[in-house]
Amino acid sequence: MKLESKTPDGPVEKKWDKARFELKLVNPANKRKFEVIVVGTGLAGASAGASLAELGYQVKVFCIQDSPRRAHSIAAQGGINAAKNYPNDGDSIWRLFYDTVKGGDFRAREANVYRLAQVSNAIIDHCVAQGVPFARDYGGTLDNRSFGGAQVSRTFYARGQTGQQLLLGAYASLMRQVGLGSVKMFSRREMMDVVLVDGAARGIVVRNLVTGAFESYAAHAVLLCTGGYSNAFFLSTNANSCNVGAAWSAYKRGAAFANPCFTQIHPTCIPVSGEHQSKLTLMSESLRNDGRVWVPKSSGDRRSPDLIPEEERDYYLERIYPSFGNLVPRDVASRAAKRIIDEGRGVGKTGLAVYLDFADAFKRRGVGAIKEEYGNLFDMYHHLTDEDPYQAPMRIYPAVHYTMGGLWVDYNLMTTIPGLFCLGEANFSDHGGNRLGASALMQGLADGYFVIPYTLGGYFAASKLPKADPGQQAFKEAESGAAGRVKKLLSIKGKRTPVSFHKELGSLMWDNCGMSRNAKGLSEALARIPKIREEFWRNIMVTGSGSEFNQTLERAHRVADYLEFAELLVRDAFERRESCGGHFREEHQTPDNEAKRDDANFCHVSVWEHQGPDRDPVLHKEPLKFEHAHLAQRSYA
Amino acid sequence: MKVTLRVWRQTGPDGPGRLVSYEAEVPSTDMSFLELLDTVNEGLIAKGEDAIAFDHDCREGICGMCSQVIDGQPHGPDKAAATCQLHMRRFKDGDVITAEPFRAKAFPVVKDLVVDRSALDRVMTCGGFVSVNTGAAVDANAVLVPKDDAEKAMDAAACIGCGACVAACPNAAAMLFVGAKVSQFALLPQGAPERVRRVLSMRKAMDKEGFGHCSNEAECEAVCPKEVKISNIARLNREFIRALAVSDG
Amino acid sequence: METLARLVTSSIGRKLLVAAVGFLLCGFLMTHLAGNMFLFVGEKAFNTYARVLESNPFLLPIELALLGVILLHAVVALYLNLTSLAARPVGYAMKRSRGGRTWGSATMVYTAVLIGVFLVIHVKTFKYGVRPSPEDLYGLVMSYLQDWRWALFYAVVMAGLGLHLSHGAWSATQTFGIDHPKYTPLIKGAGLAFAVVVAAVFTAIPIWACWFLGGAR
Repeated sequence: MKLESKTPDGPVEKKWDKARFELKLVNPANKRKFEVIVVGTGLAGASAGASLAELGYQVKVFCIQDSPRRAHSIAAQGGINAAKNYPNDGDSIWRLFYDTVKGGDFRAREANVYRLAQVSNAIIDHCVAQGVPFARDYGGTLDNRSFGGAQVSRTFYARGQTGQQLLLGAYASLMRQVGLGSVKMFSRREMMDVVLVDGAARGIVVRNLVTGAFESYAAHAVLLCTGGYSNAFFLSTNANSCNVGAAWSAYKRGAAFANPCFTQIHPTCIPVSGEHQSKLTLMSESLRNDGRVWVPKSSGDRRSPDLIPEEERDYYLERIYPSFGNLVPRDVASRAAKRIIDEGRGVGKTGLAVYLDFADAFKRRGVGAIKEEYGNLFDMYHHLTDEDPYQAPMRIYPAVHYTMGGLWVDYNLMTTIPGLFCLGEANFSDHGGNRLGASALMQGLADGYFVIPYTLGGYFAASKLPKADPGQQAFKEAESGAAGRVKKLLSIKGKRTPVSFHKELGSLMWDNCGMSRNAKGLSEALARIPKIREEFWRNIMVTGSGSEFNQTLERAHRVADYLEFAELLVRDAFERRESCGGHFREEHQTPDNEAKRDDANFCHVSVWEHQGPDRDPVLHKEPLKFEHAHLAQRSYA
Repeated sequence: MKVTLRVWRQTGPDGPGRLVSYEAEVPSTDMSFLELLDTVNEGLIAKGEDAIAFDHDCREGICGMCSQVIDGQPHGPDKAAATCQLHMRRFKDGDVITAEPFRAKAFPVVKDLVVDRSALDRVMTCGGFVSVNTGAAVDANAVLVPKDDAEKAMDAAACIGCGACVAACPNAAAMLFVGAKVSQFALLPQGAPERVRRVLSMRKAMDKEGFGHCSNEAECEAVCPKEVKISNIARLNREFIRALAVSDG
Repeated sequence: METLARLVTSSIGRKLLVAAVGFLLCGFLMTHLAGNMFLFVGEKAFNTYARVLESNPFLLPIELALLGVILLHAVVALYLNLTSLAARPVGYAMKRSRGGRTWGSATMVYTAVLIGVFLVIHVKTFKYGVRPSPEDLYGLVMSYLQDWRWALFYAVVMAGLGLHLSHGAWSATQTFGIDHPKYTPLIKGAGLAFAVVVAAVFTAIPIWACWFLGGAR
C-alpha cells in the first residue's frame, strides 16, 4: 500500500490556496449529475451534506437515529475554537495552528492542522449567519472564553450547549436542502458495508432498522462521517449508538486505519456510581476555568470536603503545572488525576474521584455569574448525583471521550479507497495524540463546510466514473454478506447477551489499554480479545428476528465489530513504544511522570492495512515532518 | 428495593398493544430508569424473550431521543429532565411504574415504546432554517445582536426536539416546538429576511402533519426538559398575525 | 383572499377567530351585566330599561349578530376540539397533569356545553316567556329567580361561566400573542379578576332575588 498524503508543497500558509487552485472544478451544470452518499449526520456529516447539496450535487444522507438532529455532536458542551482574536489577546491563525500541533503532541499532519486553523474563522461567520445563538457581550459582539490547553480566549460558546447549537445549525441547513429536494434523507439506517466497483467506492449497503431490510444505494462517492470508537471501552461519554461499524467495514474493504491507539480520556466526567452504569456523563472542561481541582494531602482522608482545612488540601494541578494550573490539556489533567488516585488520595464513596471546587469562584465572581455561565452543567451534576454543587465541590473522574485515531485520509480527506472520504472524528488527521478542548467541533465543521466541497469536486473532475447501480453484482454480494452475518448472529442462540460481551471487552480495554498502558497488559489483552470473540460467536443470544425493529440484534452487530476492532487498537498501542498525548506507555515517562515521546522512532502515523480475517494486519508508516511547529517536549509547567 | 414496571408492548405499527407487568429488582437507587430497563432487558434476553424496545441515545438529556411517558407524564415526574435523567431514587420500594410511548397521530408507534417523530423533521424542512449557503456569510461581528435577544433566542433554541410538548398537550399540538424555532429566528437579525415566509410555511406543515391546536394550557411548558416557555407560542402567534397582515395575497 | 383562507383553514387562525369572538362576547357580557344592574335599582328602572332596549330598531340585527358570534365561537371551538381528538387517536392508559392545566382550562368544553344549554333556556324563559303584563319583564324575571331551584341553576351556570372565563380571557390574549414578562402576570390576574367579578355579580342577582326579596321559596 502506497500512502500518498497529497499535501501540496510550498509554505504551509499557502498550501490550502495552492490545493484549491490545483483541484479541478466541476461545471455547475454537471454537478447535478453526481450523486454523493453521506453517512452520519453529526457536525461533519450534516455540514457536508448541506454544503454539497448547496453546490448542486445530488446527496443521500443516512443516519442511525430517528432524526439527523440527534447525532452525538449534540452533546458537546464547551465551545468551538477560532482564531478570530476578537479579545485582542494575541491569538492568530499561527498560534491556533501551533497550539493544536503542540496539544496533539506532534503526531498530527502539519498541513492539515494549518488548514484547520485557517478556515476556523469562516466557520464562526457561517454559524452566526445560520442563526446560532452564540454568547454575546452587552454591545452585541460575540463573547469568548478560555479553554484547556490554551492561553488565549478563542473559544466561542452557546451556554453549555455549543455542540447542540452548531449541530442544529448544520441540521437546519440540511433540512433546507431536504425541502428543496437536493438531499434525500434516510434515517434509522445502519451502514453495513461499503461497495466497491472497479476499485472505487460506489455505494453502501444499509440495514433499515425499522423493517430489518437490507438496502443498497449507489453514488459516485461515499463520505463516512460516522464519529469515533470510544464505545469500544463500553463505558464512555459517547451516546449508545456511536459505533465503529461503518469505519470498520471500510477497513475490511481496504481503507487503512490510522493511529487507533490515540484515544482521549476526558478529565471532568461524573464518576462511575455502580455496576449498572450504562454510560458516563461528561461535564465541559470549561468548568476548569473557574473550578479548582484538589484532593486531601494525606491518603485515606475520608472526611467530608468542608471539614478539610485549606492547608490540608492539595491543589495538585496548580502545584505541578504552575503556569497552566487547572487549564492543562486533557491528557495531562487525566493522568494527574489517575496518579493521585493511585496514591490512595481519591475521594467519594468509591475513592475514584477528585474534587472540582467552585468555592473560590463563588467568592470572586459571585454565585450569579457562575450560574449564568455554567448553570446547566451544575444542574446536570445535581440531577445525576443528587448532590448540590453549589453547596459541596463536584466529584470528577476521567472517562473515555474522543478518539483521535480513525480512517487514514490524505490531504483531500480521501481514504486509501478512491471515492471513499472520511470526515470529522472518524478520520485521524488533525488532532495527533491528543485533541485540545473546543477543537472537535471546529474540525467536524471545517471538514464538512470548507474542505470537502472543494476536494470532492477535484476527485469528480479528475476521475472517470461510469454509472453504478444497486443491481450490480458488487452490491448483491455486499448485501448477502451483511445478511449472512445477521443470520448467523440470530442462529447461535447461546447463553450470553450482547451487553455482557460488551462489558467484558470494555473492562478489559479500560484496565489494560486505558489511561496508562504497558507491554504486559497490552499483550494480555491481545491474547484475551480473540478468546472473547470466539466465545461471542459460539455463545451469543440474540432474541427476535432480523425482519423487525430489533435493538438486541443491533447491539450484537456492533459488539461483534468492537471485538474485531479492539484488537487493532491494542496492537497499535503495543507497537507504539513511546508515550505521546493520550497514549501513555508506562515504560516511557520522564522522571516526573510526564509522557516521553520518542521522535527518533515514532514520529509517524501508524497506518494499518487489513489482510483478511485470519491474518495479522500490516503496519505502514506515514512519516511526519514538522517544518513550522518545531518538535519540542510539551511542557505545561 | 423492588418495583413493578407496567410497560406498553406493541409488536409493530399495526400490531396490537397492551401493558405488560415486570417485577424488577433495583440494585441501586443511583441507577437511572433506563438502566433499570436495561437490566430488565438483560433478564428477558437471557430467557430468550424479546427485549423491550425503547429509544435512547446520549443518556444525558440532550439528544432528544427519549420518547416515554412515565406514570402519566412525558419524561416522568422530574422537572427539566428527559427520561434518561430520571433516577430510581425518585421511586420507592413497591412502586408500580407505568411506561407508555408518546401518543399522537403524528407520532405513530414503531414498536413498544419507540415512536416515529419524523413529522418534526418534515416541519423543519419548511422554514426551520436561515437560507444562507456556506461561504456567503459576513464577518461574525458585522451584525450586532443585543445580548438580551441572543439569550432569549438561546432559550428557544435549547429545544431538543423530543416531542414531549406534543405528548403532554391535551390536543397533541406541536406549537411549542414550532414556536421555539420561529422565535429563535424572529429574535435574531439573521432570521429577519424570511420571517413572513417561515411562519406561514412552518404553520402549514405543522397542521398538515396532523398535530392539534393550542389551547394555551401550558402542559407543554411544564414537561419540557429544556424549560422552553410558552411565551414562544405567543411570539409564534404574533409572527403569524404579522405575516397575515403584511404578506402579499 | 389568501389571508382569509389562511385565517379560517389554519389551527392558529381558527384559534384567533375563537379568541376574537371571545373578546366580543366578553364585551357583551359586560353590557348585559350593566343592564342587569337595573334589577337592583328596582322594578320601575328595570322595566324602563327593558322598554328602551326593546324599542330600539337595531335590536333585531344586533341580536342576530350576537347569535352569529356565539355560533361562530361555538362551532369553531367545537371543530378544534374534534381535531384535537383526531390528533391523538390512541389515548394514554395513565395521564397526569404537570400543573400547566387549571380547572378552568381542563373543563372548557364542559363549561361551554353548560353555557350553551343555559343560553337556550335563558332566552326561552326570559325573551319568549309570558310576562305578568307586557311591560313587566321585571315580574317575569322575579317569578323565576325567586324559585330557589331556578336560582340555584343560575348560580351553578354562572360559576361555570366564571370557570370558562378564568381560562378563556387570558387564553385569548395569549392567542393574540400579547405577552411580556412584566405584563403577562398582570394580564393573567386581570383575566381571573374579570372571571370572578362577572360570575360573582351575575350570581348575586338570583341570590339577591331569591333570599332577600323573595324569602327563599
